[in-house]
Amino acid sequence: MNETYRVVTRIVATLTVVAVVLVTAPTRLPGQGMVGEQDKPAEPSSAASDLSPHSDAKLIAEARSAQPGSSFTVGLHLTLEPGWHTYWKNPGDSGEPASITWRLPAGFSAGEIQWPAPQLISFPPLVSYGFFDELLLLVEISPPPGLANGDTVRLAGRADWLVCIEDCFPAEAELGLTLRISDASPGLDPMTAPLFETARAELPVADPAWSSFARFKEPWYGLKIDPPDPLAAVLEADLSDVHFFASEGNVIDHAAEQRPDWDGETMVIRLARSGFSAGIPDTVHGVLVTARDGAGAPTAAVQISAPVIVAGNPTADSESSLGLGLALLFAFLGGLLLNLMPCVFPILSLKVLGFLEHSEQEPGGAARQGAAFGAGVLASFWVLGAVLLALRAAGESVGWGFQLQSPLFVGVMAVLFFLLALALLGAFEFGISFTRFGAGEFMKVPSRTRFARNTTTQSFVSGVLATVVATPCTAPFMGTALGWALFRPPAETMLVFTVLGAGMAAPYIALSLSPGLIDRLPPPGRWMETLKQILAFPLLATVVWLAWVFGLQTGVNGLAGLLGALLLTGFAVWVSARWGGITSKPPGRTIARISALAIGAAALVLLVRAAAAVPEPGSASSAASTSTSWQHWSPESAATARRAGEPLFIDFTAAWCLSCQVNERVVLNTGAVRDAFREHGVTTMKADWTRRDPAITGALAELERSSVPVYALYPGGEGDPVLLPSVLTKEIVLDALETYVPSER
Amino acid sequence: MHRSRIPNRTIIATVLAAAALLPGQHARAQSASPSIGAPAPEFSLPDTYGAEHALADYRGEWVVLEWLNYGCPYVKKHYNSQNMQNLQAKYGDRGVKWLAIVSSAPGKQGYYEPDEMNEMNEQKGQKALAVLLDPTGDVGKMYNAQTTPQMVIIDPEGTLLYNGAIDDKPSSRPASLEGAHNYLAAALDEAMSGEPVSVPTTKPYGCSVKYPS
Repeated sequence: MNETYRVVTRIVATLTVVAVVLVTAPTRLPGQGMVGEQDKPAEPSSAASDLSPHSDAKLIAEARSAQPGSSFTVGLHLTLEPGWHTYWKNPGDSGEPASITWRLPAGFSAGEIQWPAPQLISFPPLVSYGFFDELLLLVEISPPPGLANGDTVRLAGRADWLVCIEDCFPAEAELGLTLRISDASPGLDPMTAPLFETARAELPVADPAWSSFARFKEPWYGLKIDPPDPLAAVLEADLSDVHFFASEGNVIDHAAEQRPDWDGETMVIRLARSGFSAGIPDTVHGVLVTARDGAGAPTAAVQISAPVIVAGNPTADSESSLGLGLALLFAFLGGLLLNLMPCVFPILSLKVLGFLEHSEQEPGGAARQGAAFGAGVLASFWVLGAVLLALRAAGESVGWGFQLQSPLFVGVMAVLFFLLALALLGAFEFGISFTRFGAGEFMKVPSRTRFARNTTTQSFVSGVLATVVATPCTAPFMGTALGWALFRPPAETMLVFTVLGAGMAAPYIALSLSPGLIDRLPPPGRWMETLKQILAFPLLATVVWLAWVFGLQTGVNGLAGLLGALLLTGFAVWVSARWGGITSKPPGRTIARISALAIGAAALVLLVRAAAAVPEPGSASSAASTSTSWQHWSPESAATARRAGEPLFIDFTAAWCLSCQVNERVVLNTGAVRDAFREHGVTTMKADWTRRDPAITGALAELERSSVPVYALYPGGEGDPVLLPSVLTKEIVLDALETYVPSER
Repeated sequence: MHRSRIPNRTIIATVLAAAALLPGQHARAQSASPSIGAPAPEFSLPDTYGAEHALADYRGEWVVLEWLNYGCPYVKKHYNSQNMQNLQAKYGDRGVKWLAIVSSAPGKQGYYEPDEMNEMNEQKGQKALAVLLDPTGDVGKMYNAQTTPQMVIIDPEGTLLYNGAIDDKPSSRPASLEGAHNYLAAALDEAMSGEPVSVPTTKPYGCSVKYPS
């Protein structure tokens, strides 16, 4: 301690001398050479120069006095012998940044060092980030309010830094600075103020006009930066001075070539992942140097904080591997296959039957209907796309099937399917005034013109209906196309939605345009009535499934409410059909119709109330709780498993997703697949998206998906996830495990 | 209707699986660093007495590689405090084969002729099994050795388990050893008791390895 005290006193003496020198010396600007020659002979402490070889440090203040309670700036002024360097906050491959250990009077606090942009110091194959010649590191000091006017305070501390040419020397210096306290606003010190001004100008600016993100795909980050317009024009000419300096030491490979280049109006910088990174960070922080002087020192720099998007898998990851063309192809195929999904198939079968009847009654009508149906489908897809885009613009995290996360929507769908099934079973016929659903085409109509107009409207509405009932399903290819589309500009998103609709409508339009094809179908007859009745049962099965989803979302009480609403709906239909039909007499008919409407309204009220119910805690409230071998997914649990290097399989699922349920029952929960997971030491997790969950939506977005099912297999270690197809077979899963996860683990 | 059939689920699945793989297998570019969990790069280097040490000779043993430069202040921190020698002795007693590697080029800091190096080792109380000479820097570059010290752990199967800093205090001040968390010791303890290494890599700190210019 005594020794320290002696050193401190000596340094105080030194600083007094230095202060005198500073006051008498001409003002120097940074980069204009060394102070050592002038200062050193005057320093009595030069005897202790082994403490700070090849360099010097002192603490200087911008102002001559400090005002109680208002913060001010001081600076650690480092001067280095020519050719020697010291380091930035991230020193690069080797080295250590300067640091200050403060000893401040009571109530004072010091901020972080504000670092200017560094330059690249290369000793192949290694690279450091640092500074030559002279450096002023700014620190903000906050004094307490209750200081007496006229007092003096002493700021003290120890600076540590490393000074290197290729070999390095640790250096240290005791710092001290005495300031007068004054209530008057502090006047700038003309000796030091220019140094501070220059140092401020060299700080990287934080400018929100520079937007950026980074796409990571092993082993590169593609850092994409949009510079504001005037600067972009300057930079366009020459990117050779551009370099990105990462703030953290273990994110990028400092020595790797960055190859800055333009992709349209976006600057793309390729950053190789550090060999010492613990994982992929959420954000890459750093400084982008945009201009340098002849000696390589930065003259303009901007702070960058780029959110990282981790590319998922080979089929769905980036615009480079899935271009617009491929996305559109996938969208079309996905739309086409949507027709075969169990929720859409019955509705569309009816549509085909409709063609048959109309081709009998009105030649050429089929073509018009096909067009109307296609328009209905397209319009619905546009609405869906627009809603998704609007929600996304509002910052909501949504994906395909998001509407089924709303119990009310699920309940309304259940009632709708129930009504359709009743109609198919012949319990009633949709009246003319009734909304024309797909099944309405079987009614008898009096005149040909009315027929034509009505059936066209009906075709349009059945196109809408087909799309609405299709939403619970994700067809193969669709997930890939939509996942891609949702991260693209709105125009491309809408284009993908359009093509998806076109794909779904294509079989009908094709059928309606080729009378030959229709002729090859058997002639209308009693078999159509039978088929209609048979098709009611898939619809009723859909009702059962929707009720199950509704039950998971709202609990047993909510489910009872929905069943009550279905009962009332059935009753309303019966009342209306029994006494409200066109064969009934007018007064009774009107009363019956009003009663039916009132009962229907009661059903709706019951449904709305049921949808608001919340499942009692502890109840089986999720599709995930059905099996014990599946862990509950959370971002933390997944990250922990991945850090431990365990292979991990994540099942992104939802109760309302039919393909998810089928895959789970037919593939994932079978003995063979479960055994294989165990043998390969794979941790299995289920991420249940039945209700809205931003964490899951975020995780899906990272995989560039927006819908379920998604099956992600992390091979363990740092490998990229492998995404399995949305229609699984045991072979696909077993093959993937065999290929990507070595079984000796 | 009777002509329309739902295609067999397996057919769809097969077609889709094929389609999913269509845009090509994932091309994994080579990173500069050897991968943790992968086989450690093979090498063979002479020690200060001229004896060759090949990594393959140590299959079946736990191996630690330490990048060494006696002139480096960060290395001095660990040797002058006996911290490094204590680790070498502790794990040497437990059967770990500890190899110090000098990747300094002739004429650069940390490079010594074999005899001089033996004297230095004597002076410092070096307790590694051997000090290996890598004057071309080839082995250093193979392991992405950036700093002295830098530590590597290789398991008895020859798998790379750890590559990075010795501890979490990137400073040359001896006082920084107090309260430092030693990554190397933690990783070795975990690995040798059969547990996975929880921190398999960290950014190494210290002087740059003095590779040939």
